[in-house]
Amino acid sequence: MSESLDKLFSPTRIKRDADALATWGCDWTRSFPVAPSAVVFPETIEEVQALVVLANAEGLQLVPSGGRTGLSGGAVASHGEVVVSFDRMNRIIGFAPADRLVTCQAGVVTQTLQEFAERQGYFYPVDFASSGSSQLGGNIATNAGGIRVIRYGMTRNWIAGLTVVTGTGEILDCNQGLVKNATGYDLRHLFIGSEGTLGFIVEADVRLTRIPEPQRVMVLGFEEFRGILKVLSHFQSRIELSAFEFFSELALQKVTAHRKLQRPLAKSSPFYALLEFDASAVADASAAFEHTLGEGWVTDGVLSQSDAQAASLWQLREGISESLAPCSPYKNDLSVRITEMPEFLDVVDELMRASYPDFELVWYGHIGDGNLHLNILKPDDLSIEEFYGRCREINPRLFELVQERRGSISAEHGVGLLKKEFLEYSRSPAELEIMRALKSVLDPNGIMNPGKLL
Amino acid sequence: MKVLVPVKRVVDANVKIRVKPDKSGVDLTNVKMTVNPFCEIAIEEAVRMKEAGTATEVVAVAVGVSACQEQLRTCLALGADRAVLIETDVDIQPLGVATALKALQEKEQADIILFGKQSIDGDNGQTGQMFAALTGMPQGTFASEVTIENGKAYVTREVDGGLQKISTSLPVVITTDLRLNEPRYASLPNIMKAKKKQMDIFTPEELGVDVTPTLEVLSVEPPPVRAAGIKVESVEELVDKLKNEAKVIP
Repeated sequence: MSESLDKLFSPTRIKRDADALATWGCDWTRSFPVAPSAVVFPETIEEVQALVVLANAEGLQLVPSGGRTGLSGGAVASHGEVVVSFDRMNRIIGFAPADRLVTCQAGVVTQTLQEFAERQGYFYPVDFASSGSSQLGGNIATNAGGIRVIRYGMTRNWIAGLTVVTGTGEILDCNQGLVKNATGYDLRHLFIGSEGTLGFIVEADVRLTRIPEPQRVMVLGFEEFRGILKVLSHFQSRIELSAFEFFSELALQKVTAHRKLQRPLAKSSPFYALLEFDASAVADASAAFEHTLGEGWVTDGVLSQSDAQAASLWQLREGISESLAPCSPYKNDLSVRITEMPEFLDVVDELMRASYPDFELVWYGHIGDGNLHLNILKPDDLSIEEFYGRCREINPRLFELVQERRGSISAEHGVGLLKKEFLEYSRSPAELEIMRALKSVLDPNGIMNPGKLL
Repeated sequence: MKVLVPVKRVVDANVKIRVKPDKSGVDLTNVKMTVNPFCEIAIEEAVRMKEAGTATEVVAVAVGVSACQEQLRTCLALGADRAVLIETDVDIQPLGVATALKALQEKEQADIILFGKQSIDGDNGQTGQMFAALTGMPQGTFASEVTIENGKAYVTREVDGGLQKISTSLPVVITTDLRLNEPRYASLPNIMKAKKKQMDIFTPEELGVDVTPTLEVLSVEPPPVRAAGIKVESVEELVDKLKNEAKVIP
C-alpha cells in the first residue's frame, strides 16, 4: 500500500519519519495515542480525489488535518491511518468584490484570510484564540465559533459555496457561492460541522462583510453569576455587542500569572465579563454601565482608553486556554439556552464540588451565546490517565444535566474522539440513525476520518 | 506637595499609521488618539504618590488642540485631581510646550513635574529637559524608580549599561521610563466621576507665551518597504549568499 501512495505523492510530499507522524498525527488534545502510518500533502483537488479513490481500493483510512488546533481529537490518527494535511493547499484563489466572496483552498490559515479581507477593505468576522494556526477547512468541518458569534454567528453563516471530495471520491460543488438557490437539499450545510466524516472540504467561497468601526472593550466585575445575564440583556437592549465573554476569578488568576498581565479591577470579584462594542456606542454603553451599577448587578468595571489597552484586556480572555495547558485540563464545552444558564451553572457547580472537592474548576466562555467552557484542572499528585478517568466518570451525570435542558454536550469544539460516546445525550436515536445512514451513503467503506463523531 | 503631569495626545500605538500623499505629515483623520504611553506612566506614578500620602494634589496638563480634553479626562479618571489645557491649534513642538509649561508652573508652583520621557509620535525626548533648562530646576530623567523623602527626590535612572542613582532637591523635573510602573486601567466609576472634575482652559496668549514652532518640517517619508524573502535551494547557496550578498559571514 505504501508503494501506491508513493506513486501519488513525490518524496517531498509524503512523510513517514517519527517526528512528522507525531506532529501531523494529532491536534491540541494529548490524551489519545498518536500512530499514523504516513502524512501526505496534496496540492490539488484532483490529488485529494485520487487519494480517496486509492484509499477505497486499497482499504486505507484517511484523517484530514488542518491547523491541528482542535480540542476533541477530531484530527488525531491513532490506528495507522494516512494523515491528509492541507498545509500545501493554502492559496487564496479569487476575490469577487461585487459578490463579497473570497475563494480559498482548505488550508488557508484563518488569520491569512482575515488579513486578506482587510487589505481588500472587507472583514472576515470569525475569530478565535487559535486563528493564527487554524485553517479554514478545519473551521468549516467543525463549524467553528469563537469570540464574535454574538454579532456575526458561526463559520456556517459565512460559507457561500463549498467544494468537497466525498468518501466515494465524487467532487461536489455545493451552492456555488450563490445567495439564492432554492433547488432542494443544501448539501453544503451537511458538510459544515461533519468533522471530515463524510468528505474532505477542499475549497470554499467565503462571504465577507464591512470592516466594523473601531471597538472599545469593557471588563466588568460581578458578585454573582445571575448578575451577568441581567447585564447582558440590559446592554443588548441599548447597544449592539460584538462580544460578551465571561471568566471566573480562578481563570483570571491563571491567565494573569501565565502571561504576566495586570489585573483589570482594583478588587477581585468571583466573576468577570468582557464586552466589546463599537466606539460610537461608548456613551450608551457607559449609561448602561451606570444603570447596572445602580441596580447592584456589577461591582466595578474598566473601559479601554486605547486600542493597546483593548488588546491587553482581550488577552485576559484569549490567554485562558493556553494558561491552563500546564494543568492538563479536562475540557467541557457545553451550551444551553441563555435563559437556562444561571440555574445550569449552579447545578453543575454543585455536582462538581460534591463529586470532586479536590479538583479546581475554571469557568469561562461565550456567555452571550449560551456557551460555557468548564475546565477541570489536574491536581499535581494524579497521573493524567487517572485524572481523565475520574473526569469521565462524572460525564454521564453532567451530560444528563445538559440533556434535561435540551442543551449541547459540545457547543463548538466538535465531537471527535473525546465526546463520541456521549453523543446520545444531545442527539436522539432517530437522529443518530439518520446520521449513520448519511455516512453510509457518502462514505460506504468508512475510510473518511474513521472512528470520529459516530 | 503638588505634582504637575504634562501629557501629550498621540496616535494610538496599535494604529498602523499612513503618511499623507503630499508627505507633509502623518494622516490623522479618523485615527484613534490616546494618552502617550510614557505620560500614562507619569500619571500612574503621580497617582501612586498621592495614594501613598506623598503628594496632596495631582494636576494633569496638556498643550494642544481642543480635543486634548479627551485625554485629560482619561487622566482625571486615572486619579488626577484637576486638569489644565493650554489650547492652541499650532503644530506644537517641544520648545513651545516647555515654554508654555514654564508659564503654567509660575502659577501652579508644583513641587514635582513628572513628564513621560518621550512621545511615541515625535520621538524627540526633549520636552522635560528643555523645561528643566528654562526653569533652572534639577532633573532626573529616564526614571525607573522614584522616592520622595525628607524634601529630596531619589531617582534611579536607566542609563546606557546600567542604572544610575541620583538625589536632587525639590522642585524637580522627572521623566519616566518604561519600567517605572504599569499603569492601571481607567475604572468606569472613576470615568463617571472624572466628568465632574475641574478643567481649566487657557490660551498661550493668556499665559503670555509664544508657542509658534521654530522647526519647519520639510518632508515625512514612510520607511522603505522591506523586500520579500527568497527561498534557497541548498545549504551551499545559502552560505554563498550570506558570504557574498549579505556579507554577514567571512
